[in-house]
Amino acid sequence: MYSFLRGTGKGLALLLMSFNLQAAPPNLVVYTYDSFTSEWGPGPQVKVAFEAKCACTLELVGLSDGVAMLNRLRLEGANSRAAILLGLDTNLTAEARASGLFEPHRLKLQASALPGPWRDDTFLPYDFGYFAFVYNREKLASPPTSLRQLVDDANGASILIQDPRTSTPGLGLLLWMKAVFGDEADQAWARLSPRVVTVSKGWSEAYGLFLKGEADMVLSYTTSPAYHIIAEQDSRYAAAPFSEGHYQQIEVAGMLRSSRQKQLAGEFLEFMLSEDFQKIIPTTNWMYPAVAGDTLLPAEFAELIDPSPALLLEETQVARERKAWVDEWLEVMSQ
Amino acid sequence: MADMSRRFPAFLVLALLAFMVLAPMAGLLNLGSLPGYEMTDLRFWESAYLRRVFFFSVWQALLSALLSVLPAILVARAFALQPDLPLRRALLRLFALPLVVPAVVAVMAVVSVYGSDGWLPLGRSLYGLNGILIAHVFFNLPLAVRLLLPQWQAIPRHHWLLAEQLGMNSWQRWRFLEWPMLREALPGVVLLVFMLCLTSFAVVLTLGGGPRSTTLEVAIYQSLRFDFDPARAVVLALLQLGLCLLVAVVTLKLQRLPEVEIADSATPTPITALHKALDIALILAATIYVGMPLLSVLIDALDGPVLSVLSSAILWRSIANTLLIGLSAALLSVSAGWFLLRYSAGLAYAGHTRGARLVDLAGSIVYVVPPLVIGTGMFVLLSPHVDVFDWVFPIVISINALMGLPFVIRCLGPAMRQNHARYHRLCLSIALFGWHRFRYLEWPLLRRPLGLAIALVTVLAMGDLGVIALFGSPASATLALLIYQQLGAYLIPQAAVTAVLLLLLCLVVYALLERLVGGNSDAAY
Repeated sequence: MYSFLRGTGKGLALLLMSFNLQAAPPNLVVYTYDSFTSEWGPGPQVKVAFEAKCACTLELVGLSDGVAMLNRLRLEGANSRAAILLGLDTNLTAEARASGLFEPHRLKLQASALPGPWRDDTFLPYDFGYFAFVYNREKLASPPTSLRQLVDDANGASILIQDPRTSTPGLGLLLWMKAVFGDEADQAWARLSPRVVTVSKGWSEAYGLFLKGEADMVLSYTTSPAYHIIAEQDSRYAAAPFSEGHYQQIEVAGMLRSSRQKQLAGEFLEFMLSEDFQKIIPTTNWMYPAVAGDTLLPAEFAELIDPSPALLLEETQVARERKAWVDEWLEVMSQ
Repeated sequence: MADMSRRFPAFLVLALLAFMVLAPMAGLLNLGSLPGYEMTDLRFWESAYLRRVFFFSVWQALLSALLSVLPAILVARAFALQPDLPLRRALLRLFALPLVVPAVVAVMAVVSVYGSDGWLPLGRSLYGLNGILIAHVFFNLPLAVRLLLPQWQAIPRHHWLLAEQLGMNSWQRWRFLEWPMLREALPGVVLLVFMLCLTSFAVVLTLGGGPRSTTLEVAIYQSLRFDFDPARAVVLALLQLGLCLLVAVVTLKLQRLPEVEIADSATPTPITALHKALDIALILAATIYVGMPLLSVLIDALDGPVLSVLSSAILWRSIANTLLIGLSAALLSVSAGWFLLRYSAGLAYAGHTRGARLVDLAGSIVYVVPPLVIGTGMFVLLSPHVDVFDWVFPIVISINALMGLPFVIRCLGPAMRQNHARYHRLCLSIALFGWHRFRYLEWPLLRRPLGLAIALVTVLAMGDLGVIALFGSPASATLALLIYQQLGAYLIPQAAVTAVLLLLLCLVVYALLERLVGGNSDAAY
């Protein structure tokens, strides 16, 4: 059975490799999330653009999300084929750093578009966004203007959110509540809870339910309406600006210590900060490019709300408290 | 000698099963030395949250199983007693579809029907136990109908004739003919549906309205993914396994194996016109219940960009991968199930009923070990030695085969036992063994349940998202994964089109396999 399986494995792999059997090495393997590698994500364009420069093959491996990538790397250790990991967010960087698997990038982020300074010498940002509640203008005339109003107004809008254990926006909202309410976040969750229609596994389920009209608002990104404006010419959807500010998500990439392609990996990180990569981001990943530049953003992005002030908790604090905060959330929400 | 030839392959399959389940768990437990990994304490039974999760898991799974199987008995009986119903075969194929619908699509479909803008709006009360039960019955009622229906075909013709001569009414026929036959399959079907609902994940989380409605499966996922605490995940998985074992012991206590006679089987004609009208009403109600969510997916798809989805190269590669995984998994699963059942049929015939049940149970129970645990464990075992990318397909196929095994056992088990009881002595007396026995005796008599088993496991594996997302490889997208990717990229109309393509593909594959393997018999079941 062992050799049979092994044989099938090799056979199938050869069969599949024959689909894209063109280039001679070197091969640069990048682990990322699978919405990055999908046909509509940035992946295909990034691959073409980088391969035009590097005389290499860029192999993008799509895993389900940042947590899955990090776990995978921990399991593989020094045997990993990956040279780059792209798609962690700042809530995972502290843990990733502690794993000792990453190597300093030795690059400088010139002309950062991020609201704050970037001081991380292990990870480099490639895009960022802000969490927000998205609503349909035709159905909700007066959306809440602050997180506090959303939480306190007992007759307010109904919302769809995601589970912080299984979803990045879900964790984002948990931290947003902590950033705004501090130690009273649990009481705030208790007040909000009656208007939470459901807590879904991932972003897709919640957003799909929202489009089917199951709630007034859905937890998503300030940039979500840009998709509807640009791809569907539909301007009914908007993000509600909250006066406390919006919690930020910064997506980063890092280079692996165990890689044998460090030269090439460095080139990729440099490319990641270049215009060729950055201009792909807004309309494929629907996020803001990490590098400032007048030509990078489509005009429609000007219609989006101003999310300032940007909220972001310390990565070390998040790493330390995340588990306790999730347990607290579970306790309140499962009453 | 014949005994050895049965025992050896069955033990091999059992050993393989044990290896496939236990080795990955051992691999995960052995992870203490990883960078950044610290073992947390395992006293999670002190957590009020986990206790609630445990009870809710069991409660919703029990309710779902009862609400699926009890009506399914009535519907299956109606199907059995109306063999000449127009569109009967098409309806029964439709009943194989819900199981294939990826969880996220099923959630959307249920919301299209029962959501606040739906056809039968339930509003906010959909979210909670209601929504979970609606979705689980949608998945499992049709499955239970498919699995129970063959029991009616096994009732010998002269029993029906005798019942008619004795002037038995419907209740008496049920009591003396049908119920004894049903008792063989019923406990196993209840157990299977219970296991399916116990391990339900996205449906429970999304329609459950919040973390108060959560299954153990979610807690396992959380331990392994979010907290990266493999030891805790393994312990929780073992807890889930133990729980299922307990339920299995209770349900199988109710099992009675009926006497088997050498006789040909037939379907009876119903007694009265009123009866016929009632049966048709039942079938109609079940069809509407199952059909509405499927119809809503179809309507969403017809609104979508059908041509642009069809013209994508990725779509066609995904279709090829989906078929490859589905067919290979079914072949593997049915072969393994065949050897297990051949052995257990022999045991049952020799009077070792308990042994027979244990073998069947071992084949089914592995279902509740979460694929995430097996997959991650296999990864841990393999990755130091080989390039896991070469292994994505074998791993995905073997895990899907494992997940299909309980279905094979339910489809084939009763038929193989009856077959063995009827013809084993004959075979011994005319020295019909091995290949010849398969070719001239077992194949003609068992090809119908074999066809059902292969068709069911194929479509099941085709719709599975499971482990493929875990391993990730650029060349290994399947249709189910494609649907998730489209949903994740705001392409909700495209996802609806892909979902319908997946369903149509499953329908075609199902019909073909049932026809090719099962033969061209009219008395479809």
